[in-house]
Amino acid sequence: MENRHAPPGVNSRSQTAAQSAADLEVLREIDHVYFSPTSEFDAARYVLEHAPSPPDCVAIEAMFSKLKRQQQVVSGKALHLISQQRDNCDREFAEIQNIRAQLSDTLDTCKKARERLKTASNHLTISTFVILANVRKRQIIKSVLKSLQLLQSLRSVENDVAEFLSKKEYYEAIDLILKGKKAAAAHKEFTCIADLATRLQDTLDMTEERLDSVLASICYNFDENVFKKLKKAYDLLGKTQAAMEQLHMHYSSAVNESALEAIKPYLNNNSMEMKFQEMCQTVPTTKAPLCLLNLCEKLFLVMKSYYLLVSWHTKNEDTVPSSNVFDIEKNVSREYIKQKLKAGLIRIWNDVQAKVSTFLKSSGLEEFPFEKFIQMLGILRKLTQVAEIFCGDKSDLLQDFIKTQSVSYIKNYHRGRMEELKLFLENEGWEQCPVKSTFNLQNLQEFKQFRKYLNPFKSDTSIAKTQSDATSSAPSQDDSVYISKYFTQKTSRTPFEIFRNENVTNDDIFGIEPESDASDESDDEPDELRRDFVEDDRHDYTTTNDYIPTSPSKLKESVIVTNTTLSVLRNCGQYLQISRYLPQISLEVIMLMNQLFDYYFYAVHLFFTSDLDVASSTLYTSKLNLVLKRISNSINVSTEDNASFECPSIPQHLDMDSEANLHGLSERIVGVESVIFLAKQYELLHPYLESIVAQHQRMILEHFRDNTLAVVADLRMPVYMCSASKAVDARSALIAMSQVRWDVKNVAVEHSPYVDMIIRKIQVFALRLENISSKVTLNLEVINSIWSMVSKFIVHLLVEGFSNATKCSNGGRGLMQLDYRQLFVKLEKISRLKPVPFQDYVDRYVKAYYLPRNELECFVKEKTEYSNKHLLALVSSACENKRDRQALSAIVENKDNPA
Amino acid sequence: MSESYEYLFKFLVIGSAGTGKSSLLNNFIGNKFKEDRCHTIGVEFGSKIINIGGKSTKLQIWDTAGQERFRSVTRSYYRGAAGALLVYDITSRDSFNALSNWLRDARTLASPNIVILLVGNKKDLEESREVTFTEASQFAQDNELMFLESSAKSGENVEEAFLKCSKTILAKIETGELDPERIGSGIQYGTGTSKRLSAPKKTVRAPSDCACHV
Repeated sequence: MENRHAPPGVNSRSQTAAQSAADLEVLREIDHVYFSPTSEFDAARYVLEHAPSPPDCVAIEAMFSKLKRQQQVVSGKALHLISQQRDNCDREFAEIQNIRAQLSDTLDTCKKARERLKTASNHLTISTFVILANVRKRQIIKSVLKSLQLLQSLRSVENDVAEFLSKKEYYEAIDLILKGKKAAAAHKEFTCIADLATRLQDTLDMTEERLDSVLASICYNFDENVFKKLKKAYDLLGKTQAAMEQLHMHYSSAVNESALEAIKPYLNNNSMEMKFQEMCQTVPTTKAPLCLLNLCEKLFLVMKSYYLLVSWHTKNEDTVPSSNVFDIEKNVSREYIKQKLKAGLIRIWNDVQAKVSTFLKSSGLEEFPFEKFIQMLGILRKLTQVAEIFCGDKSDLLQDFIKTQSVSYIKNYHRGRMEELKLFLENEGWEQCPVKSTFNLQNLQEFKQFRKYLNPFKSDTSIAKTQSDATSSAPSQDDSVYISKYFTQKTSRTPFEIFRNENVTNDDIFGIEPESDASDESDDEPDELRRDFVEDDRHDYTTTNDYIPTSPSKLKESVIVTNTTLSVLRNCGQYLQISRYLPQISLEVIMLMNQLFDYYFYAVHLFFTSDLDVASSTLYTSKLNLVLKRISNSINVSTEDNASFECPSIPQHLDMDSEANLHGLSERIVGVESVIFLAKQYELLHPYLESIVAQHQRMILEHFRDNTLAVVADLRMPVYMCSASKAVDARSALIAMSQVRWDVKNVAVEHSPYVDMIIRKIQVFALRLENISSKVTLNLEVINSIWSMVSKFIVHLLVEGFSNATKCSNGGRGLMQLDYRQLFVKLEKISRLKPVPFQDYVDRYVKAYYLPRNELECFVKEKTEYSNKHLLALVSSACENKRDRQALSAIVENKDNPA
Repeated sequence: MSESYEYLFKFLVIGSAGTGKSSLLNNFIGNKFKEDRCHTIGVEFGSKIINIGGKSTKLQIWDTAGQERFRSVTRSYYRGAAGALLVYDITSRDSFNALSNWLRDARTLASPNIVILLVGNKKDLEESREVTFTEASQFAQDNELMFLESSAKSGENVEEAFLKCSKTILAKIETGELDPERIGSGIQYGTGTSKRLSAPKKTVRAPSDCACHV
């Protein structure tokens, strides 16, 4: 194909280079339009159009040759190019063939795989997938079933919880509910759950309420097991702290409720709703002690429950120090609860105290009979002991209250006793009460308990003991052990039940050791205790003539007491018993006791000196005057001060005017001597009294002893003088004396007749006194003091009589001496007084006559016991010198008003 | 202690030892019965305000010792008593036999108009009774006494005894048979009445102007 026209410019192996260059030139000259695709370009038309004009042959020829030439070059060129690409084309073809073969192989493989797969699917896939699908379905159903079961269980939660609660399985109940709630929350997608959840919440609320009510019941009776369960349940709820707050509230209301419950049964109309205070006021006084007891018992149960709660907490305290945040929080909460519990003790006690005080304030405590009052005090005392165990509180509030109530009670009680004493005194017959000569206050039943303190042999130890007993109101160690026994869960007893016992003694109540005198003083005392200390040999007073004061041994032994004396002593015993139970007001009690004495003392003085018809200045010692003044101040103070007492009115039934009974001398003796006896009894009590008051208060007692008790014997003088001064009729005696001539020259040998007259009177007096001694056992002291009063009266009578002598000679002076010597010799015999007292008074007066002038002046100046009248008479008879007489008289007259 | 009453009656409780006089009184004024009480020494005292026919009356009761040896002491309390309980023990013939002596004392020493009620005490001890109700009634009738049997232990007829006696006194005042104004009647007007018995006299006698200066 080398001859083929190759396109110009292309492969022209068979041509020469010149040719090629010419060819190339030709190629280049070809119009580009000819290279356009044939569809768009019509070469023939183009040439025709571009034929040279005018059409001449040459031009056409030239054109023709040119076009021919161009055609040859292009054809050659094309040929050349085609030959050139031929190998490539062949190679590509081979390649195509190769690919085609591979494709058909692949197709075969695919066909085979499909066939195999088809077989596989037929044989395996379908059945397995069914199984898998079933399994999956089953699993779905299972989960649905589970949900359903859950729903079912959720629905039954309520019942189960109720059952748990009834079994007191609080923890389990709460647990169940909480789990239920959790499950419900996890299954929110179910519509029915929403409903259930609210119901669960309700159940939870209700259960909490139940728990709360159980919690409330804890207040009345703490049960460790129940509380443990509750605590666990609250722990689970996470409300331990809140529950404790709640519990405290419950305790508060339990105190309230218990108080109300305790009082209610004692009200007459429990229909109305009343405040506690109002209720207290409507409790009848007669029921108050029982009511108080009930109140204390009820409140004690609450206190006990709280106490157990606190001790449970202390026992179960297991705070383990930990760094864990959660634990720290827990510990903080625990610490908080601990503090709360501690504070709660005081708070509850204060609540209780307030209730009891409220009750007491409106209970009319001071109107109670003594026994009841003591019982009330005992209850309160026990309550304070309980409080000390409970919270270590000294119950100052209650103690103060007890003290003020006691003081007002004892004052009220005392007022009653004083009124009674007044009555006793006004009705007293002043007869000697027949008691044994050895009688003293220890023989009285009321002093039975005090005997060991009064016994001088044992006083040291026993007083020391009472002192410690009495001065501390705090319960002893034994007491606290004893009380704390009641603070255990096991016992349902209360420390107050002792008061329910009818036979309980006050000592039991106050925990005072009973006086076991059987061991030490068992000899003859039991008889005495039965108040058989009265003389047995004196069944009838017709035999009393044995008691003539002639036998001195009998004289000394006599004891003169009146019925009123005994009653005062018995009252003292009562007072002292009160003070045993109220050591803190001992002094007040003793002061009141002393008031009894004062009143008795004052009454005797009032009754038996009202008819004293001689001037009294030398009959009353200054101390006696002070005492009487002091007492009369306390008695006669007008009504504004209710502490004072009405003066007893002088009894009209006593025969004080008859000469035959020496103007009531026997009554006077009984009166005065009974005061003296009473004073002795008070003195006997003195050491004991000192032991029950505080050190600084002893002075008061000593003052009373030294200035009142020690003075009572002084009462004899004015009282006995009342009778003594009537022994001799002063008027007739003075008249008789005035008839004596004192200006005789010689000393007479015979005494004057008035002396005999006086002696006769004295003899009559002695006889009558003897009669009295058959009624009253007179001891020597009494007789002596009576006689000394007689003597005192006589010496004054004599001085008076002698001073009436306007003229007196030495002989007359001698007669005076003779007269009074004679009188005193006789008096000494009759009275058995040796020497007869007060003789000096007349002796000095008569002998002053013999004094020289300056000594007489001293006498006149110094002797105040003689009246001016006496002294003037002395001066006028003694001084012969007129100037001296006037000078001395002037001195006497100026004595009263010293310039 | 404001106590207001219209009349005050002085009462006696008399009778032989051990007949239960103190027990009667104690029961009446509200104390507990004690099985073995001691003999009374001298006299003891109790008072109570009671209401008789709308009039509150204070009884001032003197409980006397029954033992013979206290006669001299107790007799001084008889004076001016308005009423008396004469007590014997139904289980003791002796105490019954002694009644006429007691009665004589009461009538002579106290006011002659004294209203006396005979009380046969210890009624609870029926099994050891020695004095029949009939013979005691007869004695009461013969001596113009009222009569009751009582038991201080059980409290039976205790209050009645005092009440009955007081009622009789009050009735006698109202009929004019008793005059409260008479000294020694044993009756006084109380704080509740406007009339008062003479105010306590100030009987402080001034020392007479006796010539002697003691």
